[in-house]
Amino acid sequence: MNKIAIALLSVFFFISCVDVEENVYDKYAAQDFYASEAGADAALASVYAQIAGNWDGVGYAGADRGWYDLNSMSTDEQVVPHRNTGDWELDFARLYLREFLPSDAFIANTWNWLYRSIFLANLAIEQLESANAEASKIAEAKVLRAFFYYLLIDDWGNVPFYTENNLTVDQIPQVDRKDVFDFVVQELTENVEVLDGTIGGDYYGRFNKWAGYALLAKVYLNAEVYTGTPMWQECLDACNKIDAGGFKLHPGTLDDSNVLGSKYFELFGDVCPTDEVILSIFITVDVVGRNIYTIRSLGGADGNALLGGASTWNGSIVPYDFYEKFDENDVRIRQFRHGDNPYGPQPSGFIRYSLTVDNLDNPGAEPDAGIRNMKFFPVEPFNGGGASNDFPIYRYADILLMKAECLVRMGDAAAAKPFIDQVRQRAGLDGLASNPTLEDIYNERGFELAWEGHRRQDMIRFGTFTNAHGLAPAVGDHFNLFPIPTSALNANPNLGQNTGY
Amino acid sequence: MKNSIYLKSLKILKQLTVVLILCFAAGGLLNSQTALAALQQSTYSGTVNDPNGNVLPGVTVVIKGTTNGTVTNIDGKYNLQANPGDVLIFSFIGYVTQEVEAGNASTIDVVLSDDVVGLEEVVVVGYGVAQKQDLTGATTTVSSDEMNQGAITNPLQQVAGRAAGVNVTQVGSEPGSTPSVRIRGITSLIGGNDPLVVVDGIQGNMDLLNQVPPSEIASIDILKDASATAIYGSRGAPGVILVTTKKNDKGQSTMEYHGTASVDMLSNRLETFTASEWREMAQVWGVPYSADHGSDTDWYDILVKNGTTQNHTISMGGSAKNFNYRASATAILQEGLVLNTRNHEYMARVQATQKALDDKLTLSVNLNSGVSRYEGNPASVGRAAFRSNLVSNAYWSKPTDPVLFQDGSYFYDEDVFQYINPYAVAQEVINESETHNMFGSLRADFEVFKGISLGWFGSWRKVDINRGYYEPVNSTLPNAIDHNGVANVTTNLQDEKLMDISLNFNKEFGKHGVKGVAVYEWQRQTYQGHFAQARGFINDITTYNALQLGTISNVLPGDITSYKNDRTLISFLGRLNYSFNGKYLLTVSVRHDGSSVFGANHKWGTFPSASAAWRISEEPFMKSIEAISYLKLRAGYGITGNQQGLYPQQSMQLIGESGVTNFNGELITNFAVTQNANEDLQWETRYQTNVGLDFGFFGGKLNGSVDVFSAVTENLLFNYTVPQPPYPFSSIAANVGSLKNEGIELVLNYRLVNTNDWEVTLGGNLSLLRNEVLELSGTLNGIPLMTDYVGMGYNAYLIEGQPIGVFNILQHEGRNESNAETVVDRNDDGIIDQGDRSEDRYFAGSALPTYTYAFIPEVKYKNFDLSMVWRGSGGNMIYNSIKSSFSYFENLGKSNLLRSAAELGLYTSQYSTDLWLEKGDYLRFDNLTIGYTINTEKIDYIKSMRFSLTGNNLAVFTQYTGLDPEIRVDGGNGSGADAGIYPRVRSISAGLNIIF
Repeated sequence: MNKIAIALLSVFFFISCVDVEENVYDKYAAQDFYASEAGADAALASVYAQIAGNWDGVGYAGADRGWYDLNSMSTDEQVVPHRNTGDWELDFARLYLREFLPSDAFIANTWNWLYRSIFLANLAIEQLESANAEASKIAEAKVLRAFFYYLLIDDWGNVPFYTENNLTVDQIPQVDRKDVFDFVVQELTENVEVLDGTIGGDYYGRFNKWAGYALLAKVYLNAEVYTGTPMWQECLDACNKIDAGGFKLHPGTLDDSNVLGSKYFELFGDVCPTDEVILSIFITVDVVGRNIYTIRSLGGADGNALLGGASTWNGSIVPYDFYEKFDENDVRIRQFRHGDNPYGPQPSGFIRYSLTVDNLDNPGAEPDAGIRNMKFFPVEPFNGGGASNDFPIYRYADILLMKAECLVRMGDAAAAKPFIDQVRQRAGLDGLASNPTLEDIYNERGFELAWEGHRRQDMIRFGTFTNAHGLAPAVGDHFNLFPIPTSALNANPNLGQNTGY
Repeated sequence: MKNSIYLKSLKILKQLTVVLILCFAAGGLLNSQTALAALQQSTYSGTVNDPNGNVLPGVTVVIKGTTNGTVTNIDGKYNLQANPGDVLIFSFIGYVTQEVEAGNASTIDVVLSDDVVGLEEVVVVGYGVAQKQDLTGATTTVSSDEMNQGAITNPLQQVAGRAAGVNVTQVGSEPGSTPSVRIRGITSLIGGNDPLVVVDGIQGNMDLLNQVPPSEIASIDILKDASATAIYGSRGAPGVILVTTKKNDKGQSTMEYHGTASVDMLSNRLETFTASEWREMAQVWGVPYSADHGSDTDWYDILVKNGTTQNHTISMGGSAKNFNYRASATAILQEGLVLNTRNHEYMARVQATQKALDDKLTLSVNLNSGVSRYEGNPASVGRAAFRSNLVSNAYWSKPTDPVLFQDGSYFYDEDVFQYINPYAVAQEVINESETHNMFGSLRADFEVFKGISLGWFGSWRKVDINRGYYEPVNSTLPNAIDHNGVANVTTNLQDEKLMDISLNFNKEFGKHGVKGVAVYEWQRQTYQGHFAQARGFINDITTYNALQLGTISNVLPGDITSYKNDRTLISFLGRLNYSFNGKYLLTVSVRHDGSSVFGANHKWGTFPSASAAWRISEEPFMKSIEAISYLKLRAGYGITGNQQGLYPQQSMQLIGESGVTNFNGELITNFAVTQNANEDLQWETRYQTNVGLDFGFFGGKLNGSVDVFSAVTENLLFNYTVPQPPYPFSSIAANVGSLKNEGIELVLNYRLVNTNDWEVTLGGNLSLLRNEVLELSGTLNGIPLMTDYVGMGYNAYLIEGQPIGVFNILQHEGRNESNAETVVDRNDDGIIDQGDRSEDRYFAGSALPTYTYAFIPEVKYKNFDLSMVWRGSGGNMIYNSIKSSFSYFENLGKSNLLRSAAELGLYTSQYSTDLWLEKGDYLRFDNLTIGYTINTEKIDYIKSMRFSLTGNNLAVFTQYTGLDPEIRVDGGNGSGADAGIYPRVRSISAGLNIIF
């Protein structure tokens, strides 16, 4: 007996003598975690976590140098000028002037964010399928992945394509824009109908059936850009599906309780109203995401005067040529701030911004030059790091304008008129005097969707993206695609750069 | 110092070797062995002198092979009966033992040469000790009487400049900040470059050095080459620092006081515009009057005062036949130059050794306990355009801004984005920590048979760090304003255990000497901690002491965190020393290590080494060459590993928290993959060859050593670039690339004068080092990892084929009509690309020095002693980021600028160019100490007493225009850049040492 005990003891001693297994106390092992039901849900939730914006170019509507900035500041709707006080790096102005380079942070950040999101979506699909999760959840993860691929082909054209994570880079080819488009369309048509139809509640900020159709409609809307073949009828059909969700335009009535004086701006407030907004991003600064768009725009003294001391950044402005198209009776013009009698609060010490900037890079703009935007007028909690306004990705006004566009493009301008008029009348304007032209649609989209991240796609579809505007000169057609980031080309020698870069 | 000089030195070394070999050959030929046989005993007598002609009393003279002998008298004379043909051995501590054959002449006068090499010196070599003469590897020993003196707060400051190939860098003089040390260059990128520290057998990271009272150190041994460090296996690659504390000699009972007190002054400051100059410039550059707030403030002067450093140690000890103890209490009190920065350290230690069982069993206990209290300014503060330490923000503040408003509150300019008032920050932010250190060890050695002993050693070390931080709204910090005050507390707990079992044997068989050691060792380090934060305080009364008084409903993600991880290292190691005839020495060691931080299939690694030495001067043919008194050739090769810099858990696919997300209508924790996992993560291995020569000429008047080494790190641990897709993160910790380091180290000591009254010694050392990134790209399981041009910050890069930290930078051209900086379009494509691999960039030197040197003259005259340390380094470039931040006139409206900006006349720049790259060469007059030892023979109770006066950092010779050319060169990100440092002190200190 003793001998056995001694033998056991010595074996035990020997094993513990050479035991160098790693102990993990403060994390979960990936395999165990995802195998659980909570884990599969968490995998889906973590994909959504990528959509909320944050620093370092993460997110759909993030803070500085991410997808939103890339797709908004390369257009005529906003720019951050370098200031002659030395503030602001020049890459923002270079983006607006179309002087960007493949090594710029905007481009790599957006690329890396989208592919990290696709990795997480692949992971979620794999985990949900192996956990036999509800079909609607699996469909949701697939629609999310299609969303990211759609954003990729929109910015870059031919992109690396993969749907399973355990692949090496040589197994991930750079696929033609058209083929990725086909995949996106197929994934969406197969899965959208399976999505849950709930509006708001558990599905606030998630792809429900209606958001799925909105995405599908967007993909069809730009089919001609992506593939050369227009799909206006398909787009219109997808838009019509959304009607079954019961969406309508949120009222635009004047209302003194709103800081900008109209219920219209509730669309950009604390919570996106679900009567109109189809897909939104939930934001509470320092908790989930951060909405920086007004904080980034206003000057330092306005932070004190308007926002109780939050350190505002004196950054983005609205180029005058974009602003000047607005009708002065348009309720939507209230988002802009300039001059002695601006919309919104006028506390003592508020800044009187000038209408124009003369220079964007060298020596830069005067500190108070340029129109500011307060569409997302900060809601609590807010601070120098951003505000808590939720962000609308898709809303019904957009869908109405898409319907109108499809009809005009298919030659039925008369049928289009009521849709565009609805949007105009909500903004306090009269309906159009005559049947809408494509230019009417284009302009209306600019008025309605300013600073919501749609501008670059719209300008490309209407063929205006490479034209001169404001202080930006005209550029070559290859600017309709962004260059593939240098870092991606360096890490993967099989990737080909887009033509012209 | 470029390749040419390096090659030249190599050439000189080669020539020197040829000359030496010729000398040996000649000596062998000249050597005539005359064996005279004589039977008659006769009386031999003579005088023993030192090399300077002074008589040596007390020299032992013994007939070889007998116990017959005598001692020289006060006049250095002796008489001894011996047979002709007998060999007389003359020995005396501090001199080389000399053997003389008795011949026909009855007078034998002997001149003993100085043993400046310290041949009898015992050197700690890791898991044992060795006589210096038996060493086969490259090690440097600095004993307490050679250490730098003055206002010492860390043991590394005592050896700065004293050891070739050991680069001690102190960036600024912030209280509590510790120097970094790099032994023979940068060996690793993420595997760790900090040497292993061993204090009386207790192993630890660099922070272990903070827990040793500097004046209680008997010696510091630095193991440099692989044959010396391979015994430490996976922790040996960056070198090993062995600290041995003082013990009382047998029969000695002492009480000692060692103290210094210094006044620390600002040694240098950057010149910024005064208020009137600022106004002048504001007119020239069209800055609106509204930016002028009418004051005349010298912000730097307001933040920086004189500081003080005190260091007091009381120690006591006793030793008898079978027991020995020593205990001490130390206080090191630093008051920094910058307002509200200080560090107070208190340490107490006891060690005791007791023998038992007929002296066969030796038990040693060591207990060390300490508390240190730190108060400092918050790190990395400032506006988005310039973030740095607080004192560097003083350059930013305009001289025309007042410190206070009329009502006494801190001045704040709302027109400036994220304005901060540095005086308000220094006064109002609380940033303090208290560190509790404790370590203890028990060692038991049992002599089983004569020459064979069994040992057990266990040590346990605990470090608890508690930090408290509070930034109130009136500190003017943007974060505090945004959140209405922010308070947090942090606790970090470190627990390190080590146990080893060792078997030693030591045996001589005739001319063969064999010594061996075999060890099993187990180590576990556990790191644990927590952090809690609250915001939104209605007043500032409770600072960080009552987080619950903040607005708890506003708890944000990241406000409450905790962590725990550990690492285990298990080792089997052995070493064999063989010597033949005391002339030929061989050391072989092997260590087998298992570490928990590596991938499941790669836990274990084996690290062998071999080295040999030939004591050429012991050869008979060398005896007649009087010029050469000592010559030893050493050569060694070894493989060492690296892993301490690698964080645990990197090989595993783990899920951690990644903020909060909104899902299912509620806010939930976002669980996310934390990293790209690498199951094949394994050892990084360093292959190092070292050849060295120790020499003594002219009776030891000139002695020194030359070492040449070459080391290649393979399987280089690094965060390699992976393609996205498919990886979710852009890099993966893996073993792919390789690095190379080569160098030469030269140490020389020359005893210029040595008389009764005068002693003048000139010491010096020189190290040449070059390194190269051999490879960064490769494959990981077939996946190509195209890693290259990895930025280290401030235009320093890791680039294949270039030295670590090569500056890859745009070339300044001039300025355009609107005074914006222009750069050279080096590839003439009309576009200035600022990307990492842009062809508009060029290689403009390295961030790391290629040579370091020191010159250490020492003079003794009667009771006075004087020593100096001049040390320097060079061959590197510094990116003066501070200068670039304060040179553009577009910033004048919101900040101050350097005076040098006026001459540059730049309004703005969108580039960071070589305009800000400056030579980093410097020579520092680091230390001047004058001491006076009082004759204590007539004073009762006092055994010895010495007063000293030390000046530190008395002068710096450099072309660098920044605050101080000694900046970070540790090979990490930010190496070679000066983004604002805590000012460096010039100090004058008085010291007193008394032994009762």
